[in-house]
Amino acid sequence: MEESALIRAAQAGDERAFEELVRLYDQSVLRLAMNLLRSPEDANDIYQEAFLRVYRNLHSFRFDCSFHTWLYRIVTNLCLDALRKRKVRREEPAQFATADGVLDRMDTIEDERAHGNPQRNLMSVELKERIQAILEGLTPRERMVFEMRHYQGLRLRAIGEVLGTSEEAAKNCLFRATQKMRAALGDFL
Amino acid sequence: MTCDETRKRLSFFLYGELSFQEEEDTEAHLEQCAACRLEMERERALQRAFDASEMPVVPGMAAQARRELMAEIARRRDHPGFWQRWMDRSGLRWRFVSPALQPIGALALLLVGYFGARVHPWEANPGFAESSLVPVASRVRYVEPEASGKVRIVVEDARQRVLTGDPSDDKIRKLLMAATQDPADPGVRVESVNLLTSQSDSAEVRRTMLWVLQHDSNAGVRLKALESLKASAGEPETREVLSKVLLTDKNPGVRTQAIDLLTQHKGVQIVGILQELMRRDDNGYVRYRCERTLHEMDASEGTF
Repeated sequence: MEESALIRAAQAGDERAFEELVRLYDQSVLRLAMNLLRSPEDANDIYQEAFLRVYRNLHSFRFDCSFHTWLYRIVTNLCLDALRKRKVRREEPAQFATADGVLDRMDTIEDERAHGNPQRNLMSVELKERIQAILEGLTPRERMVFEMRHYQGLRLRAIGEVLGTSEEAAKNCLFRATQKMRAALGDFL
Repeated sequence: MTCDETRKRLSFFLYGELSFQEEEDTEAHLEQCAACRLEMERERALQRAFDASEMPVVPGMAAQARRELMAEIARRRDHPGFWQRWMDRSGLRWRFVSPALQPIGALALLLVGYFGARVHPWEANPGFAESSLVPVASRVRYVEPEASGKVRIVVEDARQRVLTGDPSDDKIRKLLMAATQDPADPGVRVESVNLLTSQSDSAEVRRTMLWVLQHDSNAGVRLKALESLKASAGEPETREVLSKVLLTDKNPGVRTQAIDLLTQHKGVQIVGILQELMRRDDNGYVRYRCERTLHEMDASEGTF
């Protein structure tokens, strides 16, 4: 079934269609929330709240924009709120529980990258920690634009639509974010 | 184009966010400027560092999150909160009000109504009484003006009720049989057929299964009905329907199950149908079973 048909069916109360719609987007929603909040538990909370909001408000979706944009608006608003609430940087536990047992964040990253680019394996844990600290230091909006451009691969125009701003403003935000990171990582590169 | 302008554009260049002309200018500058090419390499290294810092979504995390979500939705549907029930009953949808503010809004409306009534009191309407339970959906079926000037409205309320019982219970069985013919949801149909399998010794259930086998549009439901007919595969009524299905059903999965059932009990009545299938069925397994059964019965494979 096409996405628009799924949306209409879900609007008519078809829960299977709704679940199918969730399935289409759940990986990208989780990835965005994971990268922004750097915590599987917080990412799951955002996921649950975002899709519950979609479920409650789907009847008001009128196809004025793409479903993707609408969903991302909800997710990014929730993530922005969560980031703003983190006034003090809190330490993330190095290990987290999954269905397959306890995993270490850094181990997971190393394992995932091991088969890809050997150059990446040379990157020190110190550099990764530095990047994480710099990301935490960006403003929530800069962080959001950077995450959506770099990790989600969204075009600046689409990011502007999601955040309710212009492409130019999103571009400025990305520029500020990359400049800050370049400056902070200068001695590593 | 200056080095400073070029360097400001490097990240956008790598992200592919420059216009055609800007890209051309940047490339032209990079070709003739070694210092900016070095900066470009640093920019690339920076992006690779970001790539390596990506937080992975652990396999299974999305599926687990989706299961939790659907369970929560089911829980809220089965046990809606007070405000949700009130909204459902009133048919209101406050699209522009945040859910957190909805109870406050409702309270404000109640207060407006209360003080409004004190300012402008009216008599209670003795002609109106509502006795419905909590409706899930309401639909106006009929409206008619009355001579008195009032209006008569027939409202159809659909309510959800939860019934629990043994499939052998007459009421439960009848509901399951009705559910096997629900055109909207093949999932409900297949589960109902499955639950009725234990009751297939009942003639009523068997007839329902025979109807499902011949008429259901979903092959999965028809296959489930075939399974429930295993016990009655020797009955003439079942064999007649199996023969029809073998000649008409377009799904080879259904036909291979049907031929297995039909050939469990051999008899001269099925020779004609087996010969016909040998001639026209395009499924190798169906033809093989026909051939073997005809051979076991010492019957010829073709009609002469």
